[in-house]
Amino acid sequence: MLKYILRRIIMLIPVLLGVAFCVFTLLYFTPGDPARMVLGDLATDEAIKEFRDKEGLNDPFLVQFGNYIWKAVAHGDIGRSYSSKRPVMQEILTAFPYTLKLSAFAMIIAIIIGIPCGIISAIKQYSWFDTITMIFAMIGLSMPVFWLGLLLILFFAVRLRWLPSSGFSTFKAMILPSVALAAQSISMVTRMTRSSMLEVIRADYIRTARAKGQKESIVIGVHALRNALIPVVTLCGLQFGQLLSGAILTESIFAVPGVGRLMVNAIMSRDYPMVQGGVLFIAVTFSIVNLLVDLLYAYIDPRIKAELK
Amino acid sequence: MKKFSIIFLALILALSLAGTSLAKDTLVVADQYDATTLDPIGHNDYPTSRACSHIYDTLVFLNHDGTLRPGLAEKWEFLTDKDYKMYLRKGVKFHNGDEMTAADVKFSLERANTPAGSHIHTYSQDLDNVEIVDDYTVIIHLKKVNYPFFSSLVHSWGNIVCKKVVEAAGDDYGMNPVGTGPFKFKEWAKGDHYTFERFDDYWGEKAKFKTLIVRSIPEPTNRTIELETGAVDIAYPVTTIELARIEENPELVLQRKVIPSTTYMGFNVHKAPFDNVKVRHAIHALLDTVNIQRAVFRGVGQTPRSLIPAVTKYSINDDLPAHTRNVETAKKLFAEAGVNPATLKFIIRSNERKERIDMATIIQAQLAEVGIQTEIVQQEWGAYLNVLQQKQHDVFLLGWGLSVPDPDYAVAGLLESNAGTNYTTFDDPKLNEMLVKGRSLPDGEERAAVYKEMQLYINEQLPMIYLHNDEAIAGVRKIVKGFEVDPFEVHSFRGVYFEE
Repeated sequence: MLKYILRRIIMLIPVLLGVAFCVFTLLYFTPGDPARMVLGDLATDEAIKEFRDKEGLNDPFLVQFGNYIWKAVAHGDIGRSYSSKRPVMQEILTAFPYTLKLSAFAMIIAIIIGIPCGIISAIKQYSWFDTITMIFAMIGLSMPVFWLGLLLILFFAVRLRWLPSSGFSTFKAMILPSVALAAQSISMVTRMTRSSMLEVIRADYIRTARAKGQKESIVIGVHALRNALIPVVTLCGLQFGQLLSGAILTESIFAVPGVGRLMVNAIMSRDYPMVQGGVLFIAVTFSIVNLLVDLLYAYIDPRIKAELK
Repeated sequence: MKKFSIIFLALILALSLAGTSLAKDTLVVADQYDATTLDPIGHNDYPTSRACSHIYDTLVFLNHDGTLRPGLAEKWEFLTDKDYKMYLRKGVKFHNGDEMTAADVKFSLERANTPAGSHIHTYSQDLDNVEIVDDYTVIIHLKKVNYPFFSSLVHSWGNIVCKKVVEAAGDDYGMNPVGTGPFKFKEWAKGDHYTFERFDDYWGEKAKFKTLIVRSIPEPTNRTIELETGAVDIAYPVTTIELARIEENPELVLQRKVIPSTTYMGFNVHKAPFDNVKVRHAIHALLDTVNIQRAVFRGVGQTPRSLIPAVTKYSINDDLPAHTRNVETAKKLFAEAGVNPATLKFIIRSNERKERIDMATIIQAQLAEVGIQTEIVQQEWGAYLNVLQQKQHDVFLLGWGLSVPDPDYAVAGLLESNAGTNYTTFDDPKLNEMLVKGRSLPDGEERAAVYKEMQLYINEQLPMIYLHNDEAIAGVRKIVKGFEVDPFEVHSFRGVYFEE
C-alpha cells in the first residue's frame, strides 16, 4: 500500500511539470504586457523597462520557464503577487480555507441528501418519490449556479431576511453559498447513486441474499449499497476536487474571498505569478483528492485492496 | 418526519434571531473591490486609495470643491516656483505612539521615487528632494517648475508613513500599516473585508464611531441587497440599474456627484483620414452625442463639452454650448476635406465595458446614415491596451479619470506628445507649449486664461469626441449622517455618526 502511495506521489511530478508548462505557455502568449498591467496606465517608460528587467520578462521563454521551475523546486518560491507584493503561496493559503470550508459544506450537503435520495429512488423505481426526485435532480443539474444563487439571495436574504446575502465569516453566511454550490452535486450524486443501485439490485448475489431470507434492510444497506458505492465515491471525489479548485461563480456572487475569486482577480489584473501559482496549487489539490479517492476504494472494495498489494 | 420538521423550524427560527442589531458603534461600508495593499505608494487604484485615506494623512487635504486646506502641514509658502516650504503640525502621533516629524515627511515623499513607488512615479517624478529645516519644517525641492505637483500631494502617494516602521517591515509593510490617520489598522481578511479602529490620539476631530469595516462586494446587486437588508450602511459604487431601487426605498438615501472623468472616442490622428481635422469635425457633426449619452447612461452623468471636466478648476465646460447633430454640416465638411463618406471604412475599438459597446453601437448606426462602414471590435482590457500601444488603430473608446484636481492632469496624460497614455497620437507643439506654461504658473487669472485657451484649441483640433462624464453614486442608510460622497471618489468617514 505504502509503495502504491509513493508511486502515485512520484507520478505527480510529471503531471505538475506538464501543468506548469501549459499555464506558463498560455500566459506567455496571452496579449497584454504584465508590466503595464502592474504599473498602471500612468507608469513611465523607464519604470516599465525597469520592471521588465527586474522580473526577467525580457528573457527568452524557456529561460523564464526554467527559472520559475528552479525557484519553485529549490526554494519553494512560486513568486510574489504583482498586485499585493505578497508571496503567492501566502495569498493562496489565505484564500484556501474559505474555499475548503465552502466545498466541504457543499459536499456534505450533497452526500447527506444525494445518497439517501438515490437509494430510495432506486428501491422504489418509478414511484412518485422517484419521479419527483428525478425532476428535482434534473432541475438542479441544469440550473446555472449564478441564477440559483440570485434566487436564493432574493428569497432568503431580501424577502425573508433570514440569512445574509454575502460574505463568509459567520455560519449563517455560509449557508446560502454552500447550498447554491451543492445543488449540482446533489443532483449528480442522486442520479449516480440511483443508477448504480439499480444495476446492483438486479445482480444475482442480491437475489441470493434475498433467497436466503436476509432482512431487506441488510440486503440493501450492506450487500447492495457497498457494491453500488464505487462509482458514487469516484463522482464525489471528482466533484470535491472540482469544488476545491474554486467555485468561481458561487464565490463571486456571494463575495466569498476564496481561491476562485483570487484567481479571477489575478487573471483580470494580469498577475502572472498569482495565476501560475494558483493553477499549480489547484493541480496539486486535485491530484491529492484523486489519490485519496483511490485509496478510499480499497476500503470500500476488498478486490481493489488485493490488487494494490 | 414531524419531529424533524419541528427541529428544522426551530433551527430556522434560531438563525433568524441570531445576529440582530447591536448598539451602533460600527460603520459597515461595501466597496467594489478590496484594497491591494495598505502601502500608500504601492498602488494607483481607488479602493486602495480609499483604504489608505483612513489610515494616513496627507500634508494638504482636498475639499470637495477641489480647493486645498491644511492637513499635516499647518501652512505653506512657495519660496520660489520650485521650492515649497511646509510648516508641519506639532504633536501629531502615529498609531504606534511616535511623533510625526520632518524626517518622516522626507522619508515618505522621497520613497515614492524609489522602485517601490513605480505605480505613482507620474506624480512624484518631478520631486528632487525634501530638505529638513528643523523637526517641524521641510522644504520640498522640485526638479522643475510644476504647480500641479502641489495638488498631487493630496493623492494617496502623499500620505505620510512612519519611517521607523516602514524600514523595519521591509517588503511586508503593506500588511501592517502605521499612519497618523483617524483610524488605525486592526485586521484584514484579504478579499473579504478590512477592519480599522478609531485612533483615540488623533490630532484632528476624532471619529464618532469605534469600528470601521469595509467589505469588498464586487457584484453591484449584492451591494444593494446588503444595503437594503441593513447589513451595510454605505454602499459604493451604485450602478445605473440599481438607482431606482435605492431611490424608492424610504430607508435609503442616494448621493450623487459628478466626478472629474471623461469617456471619449479618440481618433488616431496620424492615420488617414483622421489626420484631417475636417474629417474629425465631420464625424463629430454626425453624432448625436448628447442623446447617445442619455440613452446609454439613463440620466446618470452628462455629455462633456470640454476635455477638462466641469468640476475641475478652469473648466469652461459649462460656458460652451451643447453639441447638436447636423448631418448637413457633416456632408459639407466631408466635401471640403475631399473625402466621400460612403468610401470610409474603419474599426471602432473598445474594451468589454457594456456601456462603451452600447455607445459604439449607436455611433456605428449614426455613421452608417451617410454610408460610413464601421466594425466594432471589443477586446479584453490587456489585449486592448496592447493594440492601442501599437498605434495602428483607427478609432477607440476609452476613459480618463482625475485623482488629482488639477486641469493639467486632465490634458497632459492624453494629449502631450510623450505621454504613455496618448493613444490619439496627438503631437502638437502648440499644445505642448501651453501645457508647460500652465504648469509653470501659480493659480490665478493668468493660469485660468492658459487653460481656457487650451480647451478651445483642443475643441478646435478635436483629437477626440467627448461622450460621457460620470458620477460618483453612493447608497446610504438614512440613519447614517455626516457622510458626503467625494467627487474624487476617496470618501471620508471622519464625520459620520448615527441617528436612530
